[in-house]
Amino acid sequence: MNRLITGAAALVIAAFFSSCNTAPSGPKQMTIGVSFETLQTEYWVAGFEAIKSELKKRNIQALEAIADGDANRQLEQINNFIARRVDGIIAVPKDAKTIIPMIKAANAANIPIVLYNRPADQTDAKSVAVVADNFAITKATVEYMCEQAKKTGKKYKAAILLGDLGDINAMGRRDGFEDAVKQYSDLIEVVARIPTEWNGEKARAGVTNALQANPDINFIFTSSDFMFPPIIQALKEAGKYKKIGEEGHVLLGGFDGDATAYQMLVDGYLDADGVQDVYFESEAAVQAVLEMKVGKDVPVKILDLGFVIHQGNLKEMAAKMWGAQVEK
Amino acid sequence: MTSFTCARSGAAVKVVMEDSAKQRREESAFVFEAKALRNPFVSEYSIFYLTILYFFALAPFTPGLASTENAANIFSNLLPLLIVALGQTVVLITGGIDLSVTSTIALSSVMGAMVMSGDQGWLGGSRWATIAGVVVMLLIGAVVGLFNGAAITIFRMPAFIVTLTTMMFASGLAIWLTKSKTIYNLPPSFNAIGKGSVFIVPYALVVTALLAVALHVMLSRSLAGRWLYAIGHNAKAAVVSGVPVGRTTRLAYVISGLCAAAASILYTGRMETGSPVLGQRILLDVIGAAVIGGTSLFGGRGKVIWTVCGVLFITLIDNSLNMLGLSYFFIMMVKGGVILLAALLDAWRNRLLAGR
Repeated sequence: MNRLITGAAALVIAAFFSSCNTAPSGPKQMTIGVSFETLQTEYWVAGFEAIKSELKKRNIQALEAIADGDANRQLEQINNFIARRVDGIIAVPKDAKTIIPMIKAANAANIPIVLYNRPADQTDAKSVAVVADNFAITKATVEYMCEQAKKTGKKYKAAILLGDLGDINAMGRRDGFEDAVKQYSDLIEVVARIPTEWNGEKARAGVTNALQANPDINFIFTSSDFMFPPIIQALKEAGKYKKIGEEGHVLLGGFDGDATAYQMLVDGYLDADGVQDVYFESEAAVQAVLEMKVGKDVPVKILDLGFVIHQGNLKEMAAKMWGAQVEK
Repeated sequence: MTSFTCARSGAAVKVVMEDSAKQRREESAFVFEAKALRNPFVSEYSIFYLTILYFFALAPFTPGLASTENAANIFSNLLPLLIVALGQTVVLITGGIDLSVTSTIALSSVMGAMVMSGDQGWLGGSRWATIAGVVVMLLIGAVVGLFNGAAITIFRMPAFIVTLTTMMFASGLAIWLTKSKTIYNLPPSFNAIGKGSVFIVPYALVVTALLAVALHVMLSRSLAGRWLYAIGHNAKAAVVSGVPVGRTTRLAYVISGLCAAAASILYTGRMETGSPVLGQRILLDVIGAAVIGGTSLFGGRGKVIWTVCGVLFITLIDNSLNMLGLSYFFIMMVKGGVILLAALLDAWRNRLLAGR
């Protein structure tokens, strides 16, 4: 009897599926699927909120999905968007390679897809990427730091906290740093390149170890602002967390423009920060997906040129720094 | 029977009466159990009814949920998860647990990719790459499973701690081998196992169906299946009855490892990438799906069809709430709540069936 009921229920579901298979008629509100790999750092939260706010401003419904660092879950979520027949997809990929099957799936369903802040690896699949010019922004930030170092007339020993080197953004920032310090090789010697794989704990351990091996490190650049708290902790433990102008101040620079960096600038601990323009990137991503939807040609890469914020321009640039706008 | 063997006049009558009373109690407990199982909340099909109810309740409010495209999507999403959950079901039936499945998936994925990748694979470009990669992946699963089973049965260590440490070791090994990098450029013939189809039937469906049928036959028709249930009901009684408890338990963990490796083949194929963090977030879904289906965390209860229903339900929750645009955190809370309810129901059902 149970089997009979079960079989009948299965038939009813199958009939229901086939009867509901027609698209609804009449005008409908546009829907964009927004899939983020993670919301682990302030930057991603700010970007996620900015995209949703931009969509709301344009009366577009946002379907949200967070993959929690799992590329396979992201694939399933994007497949769900495709089954929901969304008008477009904006995704932050887990990495440059695992996103490729997702782009292919969106291409096959003729749904435009825009990658936010992290481009895909070399592929035939069609997508648009809105990315910060990691190399140029980092280079400008580190050059500013080097100029500050030059003014003191002292020699500097530098450390860089590297991101996950499978991430093209991390590689761009590393290259920007190396290119900048190369010009000041008589002044600055890089004594530590600390791999963090975007992990705060690894960052803290790495900085502590580097400071033990080279107690005279006096120049630190981090590839992401979210690693400032562990850096501050390690510097405090070493008695080296000093304000600009104080004896023993370690020249500090970062990348992102988050709220911690803003507060450090205001408090006089941070020398310079490369800022990604979250608002520009969000608006550009939404605009690109809408233009792709109507068949317009959109460049495969849209660059956010960003800017450097430092003690000299803090007042005028703070309004453009997203970290200054979010509540801590 | 006791009355006839030891009977002597009145004493024999007393024993017969005691036996009859015991038999009546057993019969009444059996009737109680049968009634309980007909109750929709403890019926073995309860999760299937709940899935149907849930689907019909949400379909009118969820655009696209009841489309054939989404049905295909739901089945595509559930197939690899079902394979891992089936392996877990076999272990749960013995009263054990296998927490290492997610790391087995990751380790198999990177080892297979290291063999097959056209960029840096040991057999990259060779026509044997896919076969060798699949064999290596399955071998990894079997070895991890055998290690778990051996540690649990030979050294009498708790399954929880053995599989937890195996999980940490295998996960660390996968990350160390790849230095956290993903491995790309896998052979198209391998990727096809995860994404391709023969006519309209996906290969993944064929693999999953074959595995599910094989496990169903083993559990319901074979001596090994009866041994697995016997161990889960009462391992000491199983030993006394002559069941090779050690060997059968090791078999359960090897099956679980092999299933995790088979799932890894599907996951890796559809992502076209070997990843050291593949499947790291699905452990709750795997155990949750088996328990939601009705497999008992206390051992001795579990069926392939129940796990199929459990996986279907948990995948439908993910799919529908995602399509409704609800936040990830809300989806996690709903899933956590459903799994907790299923575990509570399992504990309640256990007490009910124990006649207390």
